Amino acid sequence: QMNEVAPPPSVEEVMRLCQRRLYKDAIELLDKGAMPDRECFVLLFESCANLKSLEHSKKVHDHFLQSKFRGDPKLNNMVISMFGECSSITDAKRVFDHMVDKDMDSWHLMMCAYSDNGMGDDALHLFEEMTKHGLKPNEETFLTVFLACATVGGIEEAFLHFDSMKNEHGISPKTEHYLGVLGVLGKCGHLVEAEQYIRDLPFEPTADFWEAMRNYARLHGDIDLEDYMEELMVDVDPSKAVINKIPTPPPKSFKETNMVTSKSRILEFRNLTFYKDEAKEMAAKKGVVYVPDTRFVLHDIDQEAKEQALLYHSERLAIAYGIICTPPRKTLTIIKNLRVCGDCHNFIKIMSKIIGRVLIVRDNKRFHHFKDGKCSCGDYW
Amino acid sequence: SFATQEEAAAERRRRKRRLRMEPPVNSFNRSQQQQSQIPRPIQNPNIPKLPESVSALVGKRLDLHNHILKLIRENDLEEAALYTRHSVYSNCRPTIFTVNTVLAAQLRQAKYGALLQLHGFINQAGIAPNIITYNLIFQAYLDVRKPEIALEHYKLFIDNAPLNPSIATFRILVKGLVSNDNLEKAMEIKEDMAVKGFVVDPVVYSYLMMGCVKNSDADGVLKLYQELKEKLGGFVDDGVVYGQLMKGYFMKEMEKEAMECYEEAVGENSKVRMSAMAYNYVLEALSENGKFDEALKLFDAVKKEHNPPRHLAVNLGTFNVMVNGYCAGGKFEEAMEVFRQMGDFKCSPDTLSFNNLMNQLCDNELLAEAEKLYGEMEEKNVKPDEYTYGLLMDTCFKEGKIDEGAAYYKTMVESNLRPNLAVYNRLQDQLIKAGKLDDAKSFFDMMVSKLKMDDEAYKFIMRALSEAGRLDEMLKIVDEMLDDDTVRVSEELQEFVKEELRKGGREGDLEKLMEEKERLKAEAKAKELADAEEKKKAQSINIAALIPPKAVEEKKETAKLLWENEAGGVEEADVVEMAKGVEAGGSNGQDPPSC
Amino acid sequence: AAKEFSDMTLAGVEPNHITFIALLSGCGDFTSGSEALGDLLHGYACKLGLDRNHVMVGTAIIGMYSKRGRFKKARLVFDYMEDKNSVTWNTMIDGYMRSGQVDNAAKMFDKMPERDLISWTAMINGFVKKGYQEEALLWFREMQISGVKPDYVAIIAALNACTNLGALSFGLWVHRYVLSQDFKNNVRVSNSLIDLYCRCGCVEFARQVFYNMEKRTVVSWNSVIVGFAANGNAHESLVYFRKMQEKGFKPDAVTFTGALTACSHVGLVEEGLRYFQIMKCDYRISPRIEHYGCLVDLYSRAGRLEDALKLVQSMPMKPNEVVIGSLLAACSNHGNNIVLAERLMKHLTDLNVKSHSNYVILSNMYAADGKWEGASKMRRKMKGLGLKKQPGFSSIEIDDCMHVFMAGDNAHVETTYIREVLELISSDLRLQGCVVETLAGDLLNA
Repeated sequence: QMNEVAPPPSVEEVMRLCQRRLYKDAIELLDKGAMPDRECFVLLFESCANLKSLEHSKKVHDHFLQSKFRGDPKLNNMVISMFGECSSITDAKRVFDHMVDKDMDSWHLMMCAYSDNGMGDDALHLFEEMTKHGLKPNEETFLTVFLACATVGGIEEAFLHFDSMKNEHGISPKTEHYLGVLGVLGKCGHLVEAEQYIRDLPFEPTADFWEAMRNYARLHGDIDLEDYMEELMVDVDPSKAVINKIPTPPPKSFKETNMVTSKSRILEFRNLTFYKDEAKEMAAKKGVVYVPDTRFVLHDIDQEAKEQALLYHSERLAIAYGIICTPPRKTLTIIKNLRVCGDCHNFIKIMSKIIGRVLIVRDNKRFHHFKDGKCSCGDYW
Repeated sequence: SFATQEEAAAERRRRKRRLRMEPPVNSFNRSQQQQSQIPRPIQNPNIPKLPESVSALVGKRLDLHNHILKLIRENDLEEAALYTRHSVYSNCRPTIFTVNTVLAAQLRQAKYGALLQLHGFINQAGIAPNIITYNLIFQAYLDVRKPEIALEHYKLFIDNAPLNPSIATFRILVKGLVSNDNLEKAMEIKEDMAVKGFVVDPVVYSYLMMGCVKNSDADGVLKLYQELKEKLGGFVDDGVVYGQLMKGYFMKEMEKEAMECYEEAVGENSKVRMSAMAYNYVLEALSENGKFDEALKLFDAVKKEHNPPRHLAVNLGTFNVMVNGYCAGGKFEEAMEVFRQMGDFKCSPDTLSFNNLMNQLCDNELLAEAEKLYGEMEEKNVKPDEYTYGLLMDTCFKEGKIDEGAAYYKTMVESNLRPNLAVYNRLQDQLIKAGKLDDAKSFFDMMVSKLKMDDEAYKFIMRALSEAGRLDEMLKIVDEMLDDDTVRVSEELQEFVKEELRKGGREGDLEKLMEEKERLKAEAKAKELADAEEKKKAQSINIAALIPPKAVEEKKETAKLLWENEAGGVEEADVVEMAKGVEAGGSNGQDPPSC
Repeated sequence: AAKEFSDMTLAGVEPNHITFIALLSGCGDFTSGSEALGDLLHGYACKLGLDRNHVMVGTAIIGMYSKRGRFKKARLVFDYMEDKNSVTWNTMIDGYMRSGQVDNAAKMFDKMPERDLISWTAMINGFVKKGYQEEALLWFREMQISGVKPDYVAIIAALNACTNLGALSFGLWVHRYVLSQDFKNNVRVSNSLIDLYCRCGCVEFARQVFYNMEKRTVVSWNSVIVGFAANGNAHESLVYFRKMQEKGFKPDAVTFTGALTACSHVGLVEEGLRYFQIMKCDYRISPRIEHYGCLVDLYSRAGRLEDALKLVQSMPMKPNEVVIGSLLAACSNHGNNIVLAERLMKHLTDLNVKSHSNYVILSNMYAADGKWEGASKMRRKMKGLGLKKQPGFSSIEIDDCMHVFMAGDNAHVETTYIREVLELISSDLRLQGCVVETLAGDLLNA
């Protein structure tokens, strides 16, 4: 039974799995000898980009290099953006550098890969390279340039590029280009300028502009601006109306616009410190303070070194590793072969509160369930 | 049983699919040489950290951002801040954008303490701030009237941050400095802005002009306008400065020029762009300078012009300005009518708007109207503050309605507001004057654990009690003062109490009381010491008896682990025995024991 | 049985293979005092040639020696046998495993012509018993890959390995597997699951398993009582203790260990003493050292060192390391009482107990008082006695993968990041401690 050679899976099977979003299973079929065609590679590259898994991308790329399509510029372009999606700039750049017949798309996709990974400077550098190679930038090129500017806060550069696009390259700006410049302002947090930019446009702004602006307000957490921009957007295009939106809570006061701030007499009436009973309550709520108990360090060294030695006790290292590997507030379980030392017990207890997790520590004697600054053992163990 | 690993692996995969019973891959892989799974920026401590770019806000971190936005919309700010903090301790650290979202919401709700705490924390956590973060911090310090600290942060920002300021940065600083009465610094910031090559911003100039108006510096106003006009090439198209300019002219009693300005801003062929705030300043300039009729005309025009959301010509301020205009002319009916018009324009009044109108009503003996407005606050979901209640209380007292006034005070304290000592003193004063000693005493009892009272406040109630011959109650107050460790009983106060006691012929009572207190304190201390001694003694008990004579070597007992069940041995079936039983029975066709 | 056997031979009746099998298995089950009889039977069987020619007799002899830990003799018999069946092989593997001869057992396993479920289970069980938990699970997986379906015995072994490792995710997987099998209601499997969940700190899951059991044994009750007590759910543990009696089960020594642990967890001194009395008088269970240990713990916890000492004096057995350790810990927790601690240590030395942890406690106590000579003396003493401070390590399971850390460890790939996080936490802890100056602005603009 074992020696029977199964026929290699068909291309259709691979594509079917891709379409059913069973990406990993599809990629596994390659190892079984499936020979993808052009169309199938397109699907596979998209699958890897969706998976964002470098491991799988590399595997598919290896198979691609062994196939007869390895020189196809269109497919190579897809490989560049696939590696970009998996945030492996090194691989993307290697493919780009090895391409013999780069087309405009290759340059654009490489620049996008840089920008998507927060490396706008490299993208702009590539843009320079491109012009040095004697390639003439087109409309598409400038959109990628604006994207790059947005990731590095290059506001002035963006405007300079916009001008050169019109004046040096004779490309008349389209809506997308205006949106691109708006993106640079919006993404960099210059929201006042961004709004002004829309109002100063040489044409009546479309809903897209207000929508973009609404998204930038969301990005930076300016609720009031977000609401206002949404109103403007819906005003231009009622089909964009947002249903069942949570109404915005009112602010404490409208001191920006109420015109009577100077007339407030609140200081004549309000006590500017907390009341005594409140202060007492707050002090009680403060909870326990952690002071490193260096009695638990055996070595005869100075205080600071002792605190350091305590900080790297094994249970703390294990918890810290757990913290950086798991989502917020997830319970962590640690197993220790000896008894937990008193200082660690204290440390972990208070830590459970500030990191907002339940920490369960099993030592050689008993269990400790740490939660919200308390331990199930009642501090005796 | 396989020839190669490949074969085994292939077989395993085949089975895995068939049986669906293989546990997750990677189990018990103890090697720690795995590829790092945690995405994070590579940090070089020497370079000031650049804030993350928008490209970082994807996947789980974007989900987190949206979750926080939702919490803020639901007005659960505390959870939003806490969840952001907890996310720092996870594999999904918040981006600076998410942190800013929380900071902005805290600023919006005036939670300054929480804001600065969170900001301190993210600094510790190494989440680099972006321009929005800096702007929020400047704003926060200016709001809490700490312009020095705001400027310190601004200096640090200019010197070290790898970022450029935005227009918002300058607007925030200039406006904040002006409202903190630091016009000089505000002017410097404006110069800074020019040096840094920013385009002149009429809004910044309008704030500065406002500052000059506040300081009654008419020439300053005009000078700023001239400067702005020059820089813009002879014409200012932003209406926001015209109101201030008019005020400047009015101040110099140059009515003609003021009205020319007015014409330039809102005249028929004007090229000046007027925002709601621009109109508000103009309306204010008119109504404060005897041109209220003109203001009314403009108000009507503006209301017609208002075309939300595309063009906003009125806002809350517009109505407040008109309310003040009517009140100044003694037309309170109209003032209230305008105030109630707000709803038609989707403007919601805040607490201060209510207080502003109520104050003017109260000053003109219209308490009933003010109380009606107080009733409307609840409908509109606007929370009254100490100003609201204090105002109503004082007005009630003025009209001799002592009980009603006291009721307002009670409601105020019960809604967790914090009236200060002066308000309390006015209340007590009125109650005693009206001969309501019992009420005064119960208000004293209510507030004594809350307010930090001075000697005068204590003396006031004590004197009243003493005059009524209620010396025991007076002594009880002293008794409680002695127990409260936040209160000092001064020499002067002791003298006062003694004096009052002497009047009743009970001079010695205070000494007696104080001695008694001392004695109790000493006793408590002694008991503490004795307890400690006792404990020590208990611990250093002789353990000689513990050590048995070395005689017979007993068989050593071993402790069992807590976990070992007694039946542990039985619990795990003996594999081989069972199998043998089957085997033996099978081959003989009979059970061995029965043979 | 032995007497009947001798009567039988005296009566001149020839023993057959069944006689031998019965007696040999008896010798295996009651190893103390049956050595002579076992050897004699082996000799007799030799004479008759049964040891070589009769598979089952030979196997029984191997089994008898295995259980006595005489694996070399067992091997001799094994090599001498003419034909062997799988039971023979399995018995030999089991014999090696019992004596901790893991390598030999594995070699046997590889040499076997046919491996069956029993062979695998013998290996896995042996690994668990000898403390090779990871290996046990690896073999368990290999067994599945080779297409052998585990039965409940193998499952229990795997669960025990998970329990000892704290490998919760594997345990969960096993649980899910169990639910699809026909032994899903097996009481022993459920008991093992309760143990697993308790020891991984998942009290809630343990409760569910217990709740869903159709039939329960004393062991099931003991598992929840002890498990809940150790997890700090003392009150619930005591509730189960009461319920167990209501359901007509008789608490045994283990049950009382659980109840006493629960009491010492919450500090119910009087309650604990009452349980101790009930155990002695009502149930006539003679207290074992661990029960005394719990009581000493109880007293120490309440700061009643005097009573703790009295109890130790009245104990029928010598105090062992654990009890003394408990007292020592109490000395250090209640006022760092060095004088008392030193005397206790002397007592330990007289008892000739070798233990590092007590020296460590005492050394720490010296250090706490700044008596560095004392501390280093203790450490020298430890060295002199050939005791080393056992290195502490902690492990955490992330995505089914165990990560182990030692103190001051920097072997992990993420070390720098781990340390950054710890630095952040400790600065955060310090910040939390400082009372933040309340801003007038907060009240001004509230």
